[in-house]
Amino acid sequence: MGPSRVFLAVPFLLIAVAPVYGLVNGADSTLESVPDLEKVMYLNVESYPCVRLLNLSGEIGCSNPGTDKISAPIVRLKSSTSPLARPSTVLLQSEQMQDFFLRVSTDPEFSKNIAGVLLEPSETVNMSSGFSPAEKFPQAAFAPYSNTSYEWNLPGSGIMWNRYDFPVFLLTKESTSTLKEVSETNEGSPENVAEFDLVMQTTKVGTHDSETCLKEQTCLPLGGYSVWSSLPPINISSVPTKPIILAVASLDSASFFRDRSLGADSPISGLIALLTAVDALSHVNHLKKLKKQFVFAAFTGEAWGYLGSRKFLQELDLGSDSVKGLDSSMIEQILEMGSVGKGLVESGTLFYAHAAGELSGTKGTLKALEDASESLGSDNVKVKKASTLNPGIPPSSLMPFLRKNTSTSGVVLGDFDSHFTNKFYHSHLDNASNIKTSSVAAAAALVARALYILANGDATLDLMALNDIKVNVSLVEELVGCFLTCEPGLSCELVRRYISPIYGDCPSHYVGVFQDTPSATEKPSYVDDTSRFLWNFLADMTSESRDGTGSCTGECGNVGDMCIGAEIEGGGKCVVSTTRYVPAYSTRLRYENNIWHVLPANPTDSMESVDPVWTESFWNTIGLRVYKVESALYDRLVLAGGVIVTFASYLAVVVTRTYLAKAIKRD
Amino acid sequence: MTVAAGLGYVLIALGPALSLFASVIAKKPFLILTLLSSTLFWLISLIILAGAWRSFLPVKSTELWPYSILILTSVGFQEGIRIVFWRLFKKMEDMLNAFADRVSKPRLFLTDKMLLALAGGLGHALAHAVFFCLSLLTPAFGPATFYVDKCSNIPFFLISAIIALGFVIIHTFSMVIAFNGYNEGKRSDQIFVPFAHLIAALITLINLVPGGCNIGLPLLCIMAGTTLYYSWRLVWRRLTEHQTTRSSD
Repeated sequence: MGPSRVFLAVPFLLIAVAPVYGLVNGADSTLESVPDLEKVMYLNVESYPCVRLLNLSGEIGCSNPGTDKISAPIVRLKSSTSPLARPSTVLLQSEQMQDFFLRVSTDPEFSKNIAGVLLEPSETVNMSSGFSPAEKFPQAAFAPYSNTSYEWNLPGSGIMWNRYDFPVFLLTKESTSTLKEVSETNEGSPENVAEFDLVMQTTKVGTHDSETCLKEQTCLPLGGYSVWSSLPPINISSVPTKPIILAVASLDSASFFRDRSLGADSPISGLIALLTAVDALSHVNHLKKLKKQFVFAAFTGEAWGYLGSRKFLQELDLGSDSVKGLDSSMIEQILEMGSVGKGLVESGTLFYAHAAGELSGTKGTLKALEDASESLGSDNVKVKKASTLNPGIPPSSLMPFLRKNTSTSGVVLGDFDSHFTNKFYHSHLDNASNIKTSSVAAAAALVARALYILANGDATLDLMALNDIKVNVSLVEELVGCFLTCEPGLSCELVRRYISPIYGDCPSHYVGVFQDTPSATEKPSYVDDTSRFLWNFLADMTSESRDGTGSCTGECGNVGDMCIGAEIEGGGKCVVSTTRYVPAYSTRLRYENNIWHVLPANPTDSMESVDPVWTESFWNTIGLRVYKVESALYDRLVLAGGVIVTFASYLAVVVTRTYLAKAIKRD
Repeated sequence: MTVAAGLGYVLIALGPALSLFASVIAKKPFLILTLLSSTLFWLISLIILAGAWRSFLPVKSTELWPYSILILTSVGFQEGIRIVFWRLFKKMEDMLNAFADRVSKPRLFLTDKMLLALAGGLGHALAHAVFFCLSLLTPAFGPATFYVDKCSNIPFFLISAIIALGFVIIHTFSMVIAFNGYNEGKRSDQIFVPFAHLIAALITLINLVPGGCNIGLPLLCIMAGTTLYYSWRLVWRRLTEHQTTRSSD
């Protein structure tokens, strides 16, 4: 049946097959062709999947158990704990999620008939005790102290670190209401089933850990590109002389669902505060006269084995091009922006400084923070030292720095003291409603001034210059809108000024896989939107511009110049800046002959033996659709009916024919 | 609904047509040719109608009267060209008879003429079934089923197949009645066919009313039965009347 005939059949559809017409919701969505009919029969459900991740010892995450799609009738999980009678798709509410998954891991009888899980999103208001699928001490193995059973993340259940052999999808608000109706009337025939397509390549091929899957090329390692920038730009040809104040933040988060990892409080609030502080500091006009040099770094992959910071440290040791101009022995102090979005208290904002490492260094940083807090006066931004009862610093990028070199001195600034105040750490619920922009702005102001005080060293402090350092609150709001909301998301004006985002709408801060082929000489080709924006933004903020240059789309005339905004229409501009990408992937991996190899752990680096080397499986397509099915009995009845009609009519024709023939011959 | 159900629907819609083909038409190659040409002719008629109505569709109102106009014009057009079809048939019969005379073989018997009419009718029925039902049936072979709001107790594909079955029977035997009516000049036969077609088509409008298909489908089946019965009576009458004028075998 060619398409032209189907189309022409339309008007006649309306005559003889009149029931079709009155069908769909609203007068404007009529069925006009067979593809329209199929679209209405098979409802594609908008959702976010949980995918299969692998490490050196096994797998976590979700996948179809075999190589085929799975379909099962949808049922709502009732509060009773009776196991399911037949393979079903379970429709869960967020409040039930933690108990459900904990039960699945411990009770095989219960998980026997779970064909798939659909999770309804909910407002965080309903989850007052918090929800976190991460562990109680995230990445405890990397801590520079031995108390690894300390509970930083009180609501942590660890469910995202288990392996599930069924697909799990998170629904959107719109798809939830449709599915709620569908599950209500779901007994007998016809029933609504959900069909899951979450077939993972590693399941198909049978590779169940990172080493084998990398060898068989059924997976890719997690990784991305970290960005660092120095303020003011470093003259590369000259030997660096100034000591370095390193201010860092993480730019990646994790959650049960890879495309719904916003990480608003942890760690994006810190990243936004850092970017705002950079903006504030860039307006100081005597930066070159300061005793010390600022270097800002945003690391990715921190949630998956501190990939960014560890690779950065490795590149510093190797003296690679990506960190040219930096000398690790000149790094004097490290200030890390942890989660700072929940610092609001009645009187203003309160942050905690978690210090570790060489004492005199940290004393200096703490004093700088206190002085900065004082200078902010009526804004009431207070900072306190973290409790001495804490075992040490919280999970942060500072941990690898300390493990590498115990005499590093560093401070992590956060909105929490002994336990995370973020009740939704590493969950899909850590979104923009979980933070307050005023807290982020306060942290930015505090850090900007503290950094200035630190860079001033022991020279007399210019109080007027200090008080001139002010943060742009609208920048904070803009960045929150760009990084943490779907409207405008990465299509916001600020981002569009520098890059053409590939994924323009709902942002996600999952690190993703490292798609590039690492090479010392070539420029990176697969850099994700967030890292590209950061590179351009930091380059712009820390730049000294060249006057009168035309637009550029790649290289710039003068060696060492950077082209900012090369992707946008009309090209970009050339500036003098020291801003670089640093690849972020496990230090135990090496790319050779088109394959990723897992190297044995380096005995001098104690972190390598605890590095899980996370990889993510390949997949063909991921989909979720819902449709009605009839019972098998019905199908057989219809076939029987058709056969009976055919044979009965055959008999009738034969009988009539013989009867007529006889009757005619009779006379 | 799976391949089994899809096959079932095809058999429901086209089972009797297949049986007729296998037991009556397949034996005589000329009837097969007639069937094919007739199918082509009536498909073209449907395409012309579709083309003519293209710009007025889809009808946006929820009332029934625009559809009545659609049905009236379409049925009117089809009945009009049925006469053209008949004239073409007459020409063909004349050519066959002339050929028979030339080779000194017997001319067309009455039964032959009726079989030719049956083949013509079956062609019309096939064109209808293919155009209105088979083209929709592809999704029925997949796993999902479909229910229309206005008829929520019977699956859509089943409704479609049953309607096609009704019309297959009506069109096949209407042609026998119509040709006989034009040949004999009998008014009652000539009026019965357009009427039956029109009424059957209007009955499908009942399906547009919520729950209407529970009334519409049985009514359509009754209409098909009526046509079948009328045709049987007519054939019986003519065959018994004319056997005395037949040449002996």
